[in-house]
Amino acid sequence: MFKLKRQWISLTVVILFGFALFFIGTDGFTAFTEETARTNQLVEEQPSLPQVTLEDTFEREYDFSEFEGKYVLMTFFYSSCSTVCPILEQNVANIYEEVPAKYLGEDIVFLSVSFDPERDTPEVLDKYRTYFGSDGEEWRMARVADEQELDFLLDEFGVIAIPDDEGEFSHNVAFYLVNPDGYLEDVMDFEDVDGATNKVLHALESEG
Amino acid sequence: MKQAIYGIILFIFLALPPVVDLAESIMAIHMHAQMPLIGIAGMLMAPYLQQKFPRFFEKWNENGVPGIVLFLIVFIYWVIPRAMDDALASGAVEVFKFFSWAFLIGVPLRLSWPKLTKAWQYIVLLVVAVSYSIMAVLYLFSPDQLCNNYLIVDQRILGWSFLLIVFVIILYILQDLFIDKSAYEAE
Repeated sequence: MFKLKRQWISLTVVILFGFALFFIGTDGFTAFTEETARTNQLVEEQPSLPQVTLEDTFEREYDFSEFEGKYVLMTFFYSSCSTVCPILEQNVANIYEEVPAKYLGEDIVFLSVSFDPERDTPEVLDKYRTYFGSDGEEWRMARVADEQELDFLLDEFGVIAIPDDEGEFSHNVAFYLVNPDGYLEDVMDFEDVDGATNKVLHALESEG
Repeated sequence: MKQAIYGIILFIFLALPPVVDLAESIMAIHMHAQMPLIGIAGMLMAPYLQQKFPRFFEKWNENGVPGIVLFLIVFIYWVIPRAMDDALASGAVEVFKFFSWAFLIGVPLRLSWPKLTKAWQYIVLLVVAVSYSIMAVLYLFSPDQLCNNYLIVDQRILGWSFLLIVFVIILYILQDLFIDKSAYEAE
């Protein structure tokens, strides 16, 4: 009897340890993949945008202060991508079309940043943007030419892009909403266009 | 004692930075070679630890159940996609990976397995098979990249390797149930 009791004690200790392990390892059972953990953390921390130089399709160069006082809906892509990026940018286009014209350029700017600056020159991006109805002004496509700055930006947003053998990148995808003060406010599922549109419209309306 | 030395040598070899880099560069090797090999290193050290602390294991793991539950919990923890990413991203998690696979998976498995009743052994094999089947389906069919550090194609390969292991476990259970081994053993 006494022996059996000890087995229960050690079993309880083991189970408690297991519970703690899973609890810590998954941020309290909320994040079973790194991607969820990263998104949760970004939303919680709301990092500010780092100082990097963007080069857009009109070959203008500026940093994020260009967008001060405006919401920015950001995505990361590269134009030679044949898998998820076209879907991602098409989904951006869907949101873009839903936003009333009075807000566009005034209260919100769409910004698609390429993480493949070597191939995505302003000329290439200028062609690419036309496929999705981006006007280059209210919806800009830009590259970060400086490699160090690019790495810094990707790191800040938790974007991991791994080049594969076929000239493609494997990368994580999301919509990033930056608020008028230059802080990352929300990271949204890129497949849930309606949900993201609602959030964007809600943010714009509450801003006034 | 000799086994324990082999275990320590294997453990140290696996912990060498170039070996770590190589093993972790391929998802399936990371999951199904590096981690189990650390477990085997732990299993090799197990008898020595039992000799060293006979009372502890006798007292707290008499019927083998607490030990095997510890094995299962930690084992299943390491199939969470995030655990593998965390091991790559964080040094502390990497250290925990080596520690846990050797001492919370390898050691309790070897010391508990012989104490278990046949029924418990089947339960353990089935739990492993079921969790591996779930992971196989997840990795084979998920359209999303589950580990940020690995390509989707790596993920597919890992899915197949999970499936292969499930197949082997099922094969083992079936032969164990239906083959009369005494018929093949010499008098």
